Amino acid sequence: MPISTSEAQAALSDIAKTSRASATTYGYRHASPHLIVWGVIWALGYGLSYLRPQYGATWPVLVLIGTVASFWVGWKSRPAQSKGYDWRYAATALAALLFITAIYAIMPPRTGLQAGAFFPILIALLYGLIGIWTRGTRMLIAGIALAALTLGGYFLLPQYFMPWMAVVGGGALILGGFWLRTV
Amino acid sequence: MEQPDATIHQPLRLKIMAALKALPDREQIEFVRLKSLVGATEGNLGAHLSTLEQAGYIDVEKDFDGKKPRTRVRLARSGRRAFDAYVEYLREIVEANGAR
Repeated sequence: MPISTSEAQAALSDIAKTSRASATTYGYRHASPHLIVWGVIWALGYGLSYLRPQYGATWPVLVLIGTVASFWVGWKSRPAQSKGYDWRYAATALAALLFITAIYAIMPPRTGLQAGAFFPILIALLYGLIGIWTRGTRMLIAGIALAALTLGGYFLLPQYFMPWMAVVGGGALILGGFWLRTV
Repeated sequence: MEQPDATIHQPLRLKIMAALKALPDREQIEFVRLKSLVGATEGNLGAHLSTLEQAGYIDVEKDFDGKKPRTRVRLARSGRRAFDAYVEYLREIVEANGAR
């Protein structure tokens, strides 16, 4: 049963295509619950910031809840062969937190609107980069959509930015999370 | 490898092995996801999974997720080795003819 060069090339190409699709699907499946968790956190955070702006603890408490929920989701869906928690998740969260703290220290936002728009843009960049490097079209689309919705709300609807981000930003993340699960 | 591994050589089984190999070690994939990944019908996929399981290349686990029956598949260690050897075999053919 000899194989010709063209058959071998076609088989290698099939393998590469299937491997890529499988890895992408696996990544989507693992990213999906994180998007849903943070979509809910955003909806609550921006919603409460609009309805109850006097509650200063809203975001710190919600970010803490979101971080714990994300850890739990990461733990639950860890790869079968892994013996413990992959501390790269915690290191990533810590690096992001330090980066945002540094940026806010160097260039403190002058308004709540600026503070509220910066974080979603950063997350959109992250999703976009993941999409580009993993050839994950859906992650790339989620990043572009999030950036467009944030910028749209910031420049076109500044007076409604908080409810806009609660409904549209949070909603986009939740829908994006469910969308990734359909692959 | 003088001859290709006949079990893996079949195009759909090759796709199944490639899809499983792309997952982290010992990670399982659900039957329905695998079906959509390799573009097979349910019956066809089931038959090819049986062949791979009989060869010892994959492990198939059937259980219930709540009340719903669930079938999950993962690559066995011997399957991983056989797939790597098969890919190496294909590369050697391409390289040998490309070098001429």
